[in-house]
Amino acid sequence: MASKTASRDIITLRGSAAIVSEFFGYAANSILYNRGVYPEESFVKVKKYGLPMLLTQDEGVKSFIANLTAQLSEWLESGKLQRIVLVIMSKSTNEVLERWNFSIETNSEVVETGVSKEKSDKEIMREIQAIMRQIASSITYLPCLDETCVFDVLAYTDKDVAVPFTWIESDPKLIANPQMIHKVNTLVSYKNDEWDEQ
Amino acid sequence: MLIRTPPPKRPRAAAMETGATGSPPPAAGSDRTLVIYEDPLSATPPPAAGSDRTLVIYEDPPSATPPQLDSSSSHQMLCTYQCRQLVKADFLVALSSAEKEARDCQSSLEAMNEKFSKVEAERKKYLDQFLYTEQELAAAKGREQSLQEQLLKDVTDSQERFRKQIESYSKLEVKLQSEMNLRMKAESSAASAEEDVGILKEKLSHLSESTGRGRRCLESEIEQLKGDSKLSATRISAELERMEFRANNAEKESQLLKEQLEDSQKQFKECLHLKGELEKKLSSFTFQEVTPSPTESHILVKHLQEELRNYEAEVREARKLKSSHENIELLKEKLLEEKGRRERAESELSKLQEIQLSMKKLEDELSFWKLVTKDIPGVSCSEDLPVKFAALQREVIDGTMKVGEVNARLKQLEVALDSAQIDKQKAEAEAALAKEKAEVLKSEVKQIQTMLTMVTDERDNLRNIVNELKKSNSGEAGNQEASGTGTLIQGLESCIEKKECYIKELETSLSVQKEANNCQYEEVKLLNERLNNEAKRIKSLERENDRLRSEISLLESKLGHGDFSAANTKVLRMVNTLAVDNEAKQTIEALRTELQKTKERLQAVEELKSQSGDSGKLVDSYISGKITQLKEQIATLEKREERYKTVFADRISVFRRACCEIFGYKIVMDDQQRPNGIPVTRFTLQSIYAQSDDEKLEFEYESGNTNILANSYSSQREISQQVEIYIRKLNSIPAFTANLTVESFNRRTLS
Repeated sequence: MASKTASRDIITLRGSAAIVSEFFGYAANSILYNRGVYPEESFVKVKKYGLPMLLTQDEGVKSFIANLTAQLSEWLESGKLQRIVLVIMSKSTNEVLERWNFSIETNSEVVETGVSKEKSDKEIMREIQAIMRQIASSITYLPCLDETCVFDVLAYTDKDVAVPFTWIESDPKLIANPQMIHKVNTLVSYKNDEWDEQ
Repeated sequence: MLIRTPPPKRPRAAAMETGATGSPPPAAGSDRTLVIYEDPLSATPPPAAGSDRTLVIYEDPPSATPPQLDSSSSHQMLCTYQCRQLVKADFLVALSSAEKEARDCQSSLEAMNEKFSKVEAERKKYLDQFLYTEQELAAAKGREQSLQEQLLKDVTDSQERFRKQIESYSKLEVKLQSEMNLRMKAESSAASAEEDVGILKEKLSHLSESTGRGRRCLESEIEQLKGDSKLSATRISAELERMEFRANNAEKESQLLKEQLEDSQKQFKECLHLKGELEKKLSSFTFQEVTPSPTESHILVKHLQEELRNYEAEVREARKLKSSHENIELLKEKLLEEKGRRERAESELSKLQEIQLSMKKLEDELSFWKLVTKDIPGVSCSEDLPVKFAALQREVIDGTMKVGEVNARLKQLEVALDSAQIDKQKAEAEAALAKEKAEVLKSEVKQIQTMLTMVTDERDNLRNIVNELKKSNSGEAGNQEASGTGTLIQGLESCIEKKECYIKELETSLSVQKEANNCQYEEVKLLNERLNNEAKRIKSLERENDRLRSEISLLESKLGHGDFSAANTKVLRMVNTLAVDNEAKQTIEALRTELQKTKERLQAVEELKSQSGDSGKLVDSYISGKITQLKEQIATLEKREERYKTVFADRISVFRRACCEIFGYKIVMDDQQRPNGIPVTRFTLQSIYAQSDDEKLEFEYESGNTNILANSYSSQREISQQVEIYIRKLNSIPAFTANLTVESFNRRTLS
């Protein structure tokens, strides 16, 4: 059950492992489209969460995100994942330009017992919609990325997590002189429309 | 019912009739006596206004009259007429007096009625006031109840807050105690550190004194050494002077010897010249004279031989002089070298002295520091010192940090105390306000009491008046007016008693309320104090809340920046990122293109091969034959090159030998480059008649120009003179070299 929190500059995800990992995939695609990391023509519009979402058609990015979300869902089920950070870097200089923080709140009872808490689908979708709109609105006051950029995804996990062979330990890729950390107001008013899931 | 207006006066006839009504009317002719009954002694007060008080004329009944009055009836008639007249007069008088009295009574009644009306009005007023006070009492009771409820709620809330505050205060006290202990510890550590610093300072002062003494000793030693050095310097200078004198003398001797040499050389030249002439003559003599006399020739030869020997001896002496001159020059050079060495030795001596001094200083310092390290606990060698210093610095830093923290907490507590004092002042102000309210209530209570006293006084007055009225009306016909007034009085008394009861109840309720107000006032005080304390606690909590919020915002900002605790978290990323994949893809694609190209080439080659199967074989054999031919050519060319090299080497060696033998110089050619990059050929010439290997001339050839280079040999006096004459002035290197060969030949042959 993904939902937004009252934290100001971090998007917090709460929900089942499958939903959260799937949602992160869509959120990453949305960010890549809106920040212009990949050309617009390489994206295709789909309907998800009652909103028009854009998915990349680049096979490399697709496979990358698919492998990523699979591993993330595994970590989420075990409750070892603390945070996911999507980093946008300059291709030429490898300088970190933007960091998108997705904080994860894990219910320890659910992890230990394996019983998920019931929540209505409508409520879940409403919360996801809010986060998507939050992402879209925050992009309006971010600076333009004039140079060619690449992206990477960092996973903040517990110390005792076994590192898979396709993953390595990395530095946190901090921004050298962060200009500002946008405080996103999570109260977004929107019309509650009926949606069709694809 | 009390009638205000007195009934109208009945006429006397009516009175007579009424008087007669009470008794049967006297029969005609019956004799009755008229008795007017009046009780003047009755102390009854006049009846109230409107009382129906009638004058009853009492008549004796005629039954008592004896029948024996007929005889004396006339007498009696006269008597009765007089009596009647008298009685009438008396009656009239009595009537008038009674009328007066009635009038008085009426007036008194009226007055009484007026008073009664006034009293009733006052009673109504008092009733109204009573009702008003009752209403006020009810309202006050309601307010008190509401206040009590509010107070109870406030009390419960304040009790809870007070409990919580007490708990927090207890915790704060515990923290304070711990902080005070920490502060005491920090102060004690600071004091111990100060003591250590003082000890170290004392040691430093001792050290400085010892260093001063050492310096003085060293200075004295330095002075002694200076004196010794001065003495040695004077000795050396004296020796130098001696050596200089010797050198000057040697120079002078060398100059003299040079002059002698020159003279001898001149003589030698002349002798040579003569020798040549003599030889010519001898040769001519041998041709001309067939048979000369042997004795003269022998004599000439002997003479010449003797002269030759003399000249040879002179030449030897000249050579010896020259060699001695050369030795003198060598000695001069050695002198100069030794002078330089002496100066260097002196400078190094001074440096040595300074180094020795510094070494002594260092040794002293080392010994001192070793002693100091021995004194310092926890330090066994010099390497432990920085560690110890670092540990001490850390301790000092920790202590200062703790002191800072304690100071910060103390300041917080002071701030809390200030806030508590402010709240206390507020509570005192509120208590003053409550006091004022209580005083206002007290004044109101006093007013009510005064009202009550006034009401009781009026009540007493009314009672007195009623009693007086009762007394005044007790003499009147114990009759209806008295009973009416009595009932009225009883009613008034009952009302008054009720009022008294009410007043007593009010007084008791007032006292109870006073007590309750006092209790409530005290409770209000306590509650206010508790409220203030709770307000202070709330403010402190708000401050903590703000601080925590700021900390949370800082942490969130750090989280937003990407900070994390390495103890709990690690950062992972995928190995095969898109960039790596892209690079791999690019390389794969490049390899694929290359593969395709090679495949295409292979295919073309195979096609060619398939198209021309035999020609392919021929092509291969042709290629291999060509390769072998080329290899053979290469081998022959290499052989030729070697042959050419050997032939050239032979030829060049022959040429060089020939040049050497013809011109008398061994020439060595060497290609070099100047610093500016221009290639230059250097030739070193050594004469075959040279007496040592140092006698070499160096020439530099560059694009058609040949220049002589200065070296040790060419800078010699003789050579330099020849260089100036032949090369500089006459611009002829061959003449120089030829002259040099002749001279070297002569030297060789003569030696």
